[in-house]
Amino acid sequence: MSGDSVPFALPLARFGISDREADTLFRELRKPLLRYLVCLGLSHDEAQDVVQDAFLSLHRHVSSGGSAENTRAWLYRVAHNQARNRQASYDRRFSTPLDDGVDAPLDEATPEQAILEKEKFRRLGNAIRTLAAPERECLLLRASGLRYREIGEVLGIATSTVADIVDRAIKKLAEKCNV
Amino acid sequence: MCDYKGRLVAWLDGELPADEVTNVDWHVARCEECQRAVSAYEEISASFLDCYEASMIRAPRRSRLVWAPILGVAAAAAVILAVVLLRPSPMERLTLNPPPASPAPAIAFEKTPVAVTTVHTRHRTAARHVAQSPAWKPAEPLVEIAIPADAMFPPGAVPAGFSYITEVSFAPDGSQAVRVWP
Repeated sequence: MSGDSVPFALPLARFGISDREADTLFRELRKPLLRYLVCLGLSHDEAQDVVQDAFLSLHRHVSSGGSAENTRAWLYRVAHNQARNRQASYDRRFSTPLDDGVDAPLDEATPEQAILEKEKFRRLGNAIRTLAAPERECLLLRASGLRYREIGEVLGIATSTVADIVDRAIKKLAEKCNV
Repeated sequence: MCDYKGRLVAWLDGELPADEVTNVDWHVARCEECQRAVSAYEEISASFLDCYEASMIRAPRRSRLVWAPILGVAAAAAVILAVVLLRPSPMERLTLNPPPASPAPAIAFEKTPVAVTTVHTRHRTAARHVAQSPAWKPAEPLVEIAIPADAMFPPGAVPAGFSYITEVSFAPDGSQAVRVWP
């Protein structure tokens, strides 16, 4: 599935969500979901499969009378759980998201700036690898734009726990990177 | 360490309750330690976001060609199997139809035909073998037909690497003589 169009008709109209809104939902959430799954360690193709499955699950969920509220957190939770179910690849690669080979946008950087930026990203990559899985997941979901409450829904933990984890993770990264 | 440091990340993220926000706003404006911490948290958050955004650029693509070698082997096996199964058995190919009982020639020869037509089956090393055989008198054959050994003999009847020349002669009366030269 390469385009941004909804691969099926979401039956959201009877819940007050029009087809246009359903299409918007897919367009808005597809790429962030893909990015999150790739950062969890899935390959691009695996992430595509999981995203499609997540939207199909949403389709079934709404068809069976489930709530259509807060679909963003719902989709992230489904995608997150499906990624976890792909345990083999998840375990194999989960330890190296956002690490090697991350190049900062250096369009207008001088060679010296480029080296400094690369070094900064290398240090950050090393620091990210030292984080515990929940810390990494919370930061990834935070970078996806989810609120603490939504992150809690996705990971099945309390909002206050999310706040603690995010706080701890950011401080760890700042310390490791000497920021 | 400043007591407010534990709330700065949530404050930056806009996740603090409204009644706490004003309090932290007031404190950060006056605490240099917290200002440095806020600056560091903002910088590390921005760097993390840059990494996160860049992750899609370098996303590992699982090659759909993973199956290509397997499919290639399967295709090759299918071709080999088809060749083996569809190939006529050697015995089938060895069947010689008896010559017709001297039917009237459809074409009248202007010249008297050569009495014997020689058919040679040659392999690559035929020339060497011919040179080694004193009884062989090389003569340019009228007709040469190359036939693979496995088409002439059952599988395994001819040892691997064994080359030979077969001479088949047809006498005017239709009788045949076959001679095999190693």
